[in-house]
Amino acid sequence: MLTEFRNTLRRSWGAILGWGLSLGALGFFMMGFYDTLEDQRAMLEQLIAQYPPELMAFFGGNGTANLFTPAGYLTMEFFSLMPVVLGIFGVMAGSGLLAGDEENGLLDLVMAYPVSRSNLFFGRLLGFAVTLAAILGLTWLAFVAGIGTTSMDVTAVELVRPFVSLYAIVFLFGGLSLCLSMALPSRGMAGMLGGVLMVASYFIQSLSTLNESLEKVAEYLPLRYYQSGYAIEGLNSDWAWLLGFGLLFTALAWALFLRRDIRVSGEGNWRFGFAKIVFKKPA
Amino acid sequence: MTDTIILAQSLTKNYGSVQALRGVDLEVRKGEIFGFLGPNGAGKTTTIRCMLDMIRPNGGTLRVLGLDPQKEPVAVQARTGYLPGEFAFEGRLTVEGALKYLASLRGDNFDWGFVKKLAERLDLDLKPQFKNLSKGNKQKVGVVQALMHRPELLLLDEPTAGLDPLVQQEVLKLVREANENGTTVFFSSHILSEVQEIAGRVGIIRRGVVVETAGVQELIQKSLRRLRVRFAAPVADGALGQIPGVSILSQDETSVSIQIEGEMDALVKALAKYPVQDLESERPSLEEIFMAYYEEE
Repeated sequence: MLTEFRNTLRRSWGAILGWGLSLGALGFFMMGFYDTLEDQRAMLEQLIAQYPPELMAFFGGNGTANLFTPAGYLTMEFFSLMPVVLGIFGVMAGSGLLAGDEENGLLDLVMAYPVSRSNLFFGRLLGFAVTLAAILGLTWLAFVAGIGTTSMDVTAVELVRPFVSLYAIVFLFGGLSLCLSMALPSRGMAGMLGGVLMVASYFIQSLSTLNESLEKVAEYLPLRYYQSGYAIEGLNSDWAWLLGFGLLFTALAWALFLRRDIRVSGEGNWRFGFAKIVFKKPA
Repeated sequence: MTDTIILAQSLTKNYGSVQALRGVDLEVRKGEIFGFLGPNGAGKTTTIRCMLDMIRPNGGTLRVLGLDPQKEPVAVQARTGYLPGEFAFEGRLTVEGALKYLASLRGDNFDWGFVKKLAERLDLDLKPQFKNLSKGNKQKVGVVQALMHRPELLLLDEPTAGLDPLVQQEVLKLVREANENGTTVFFSSHILSEVQEIAGRVGIIRRGVVVETAGVQELIQKSLRRLRVRFAAPVADGALGQIPGVSILSQDETSVSIQIEGEMDALVKALAKYPVQDLESERPSLEEIFMAYYEEE
């Protein structure tokens, strides 16, 4: 398991640096802009008042007052969009964790080595979990570095909380995509479906603040339980539920991986025939 | 039973409505090189992948090294070396990195000196990244990784695919040496010449069923050959058609095209009575051997 864990981490260093440094740079500069916001408050309030409420809803705000509090600012400027932005990483990494190598033929080789399916699965899952933590850890460090450039009244520990919530929601999308990749015949389809569910969840959750008929649907969506930047004021237990569901999906993916056949390179296409999926026959 | 390394009885595997294996019966004995022959799609790869628990059979019995691969896959994999039909690896790693990673999957105790020796024999450079290798060199990496831990059983799925003739010979030599050192070899191929060169026995699989298991010489007896003979002087019609196993495909005054099944002796003796100017022999493809076999059936 440790070999696969190390191997997954080795393959993820590009993702860690790419995502971590990019989001970190965004966070660092965003912290610095907080003070300039206060200087231009009157003008911004006027501007925001003219925005349609639907637009504000997509940025996690429901009024101008929010933008001028640390929690509201962090939410609207950064954390509201992160489940979708970093969710892309979660969906891609989750759907490709095993199915990617399966489709390019590498898994056919690795599975011939004396590594149990469980060890392979959990080695890679642990690699994904640590990679995600490393990306968010780098981003958090940049935020903490940014505290010194702003008068925002927030501590490093308080800043950990929204990252915990963000970790849980991205892990959930990753786990869901991993599960889909074990159930569906191609990685591409799993990634696409995972992405559609993620974006649809974001839209419904955002619009539900304005449309009561969507409110009931939103209650069943994971983004309802994502605390965003408001977590700096106190973290509730919702993150644990999100993480729990993420683990539930990974457990389901594990069960499927233990039972299913490993495809060979070139397999993994959809073939529709009277609503039946037929796998390509290997040589 | 202890001398049986691979035993398959009535092994079946379905992919939806497609029956990939329809009752494979097979026995491979300890210390032999067993060639597994069949055209593309016959079920060669599916059979091998069942042996390593990559896919699960729908029915029948399978034992590898005396173990059930579905119940004890890790124990089987620990004692087996495998070369997949399409050898793929992560492109960013160097050959050395790839082999070290694979070796680490078997634990840290491996003989790197032996790996380097294998690489040298195949003229394989360990420094380049895998993605920069030619198809033949990628296949060489596959051969090295299959042999590097000196397995008890080698499962090779078309091991010489993509290799030039010289390297093909070296690979077959390595396989033979491994066999001489006690490794049982099971390899699939659709190239009769290489099977003939190293295998003691062969199994022929067709549409998911093993239709023949025999010694190589026995299989060759079943094969058809084509001969084209040119004579220095005209030869009478029907002069060669009476020889057992010989069919005349076409004939004119000074040349004849013949198809022959089985021993050549009678034909050679008959030809000796005529002024032969030229003789061309064409070895049959495996497909033609299949045809000969099924015509008999």
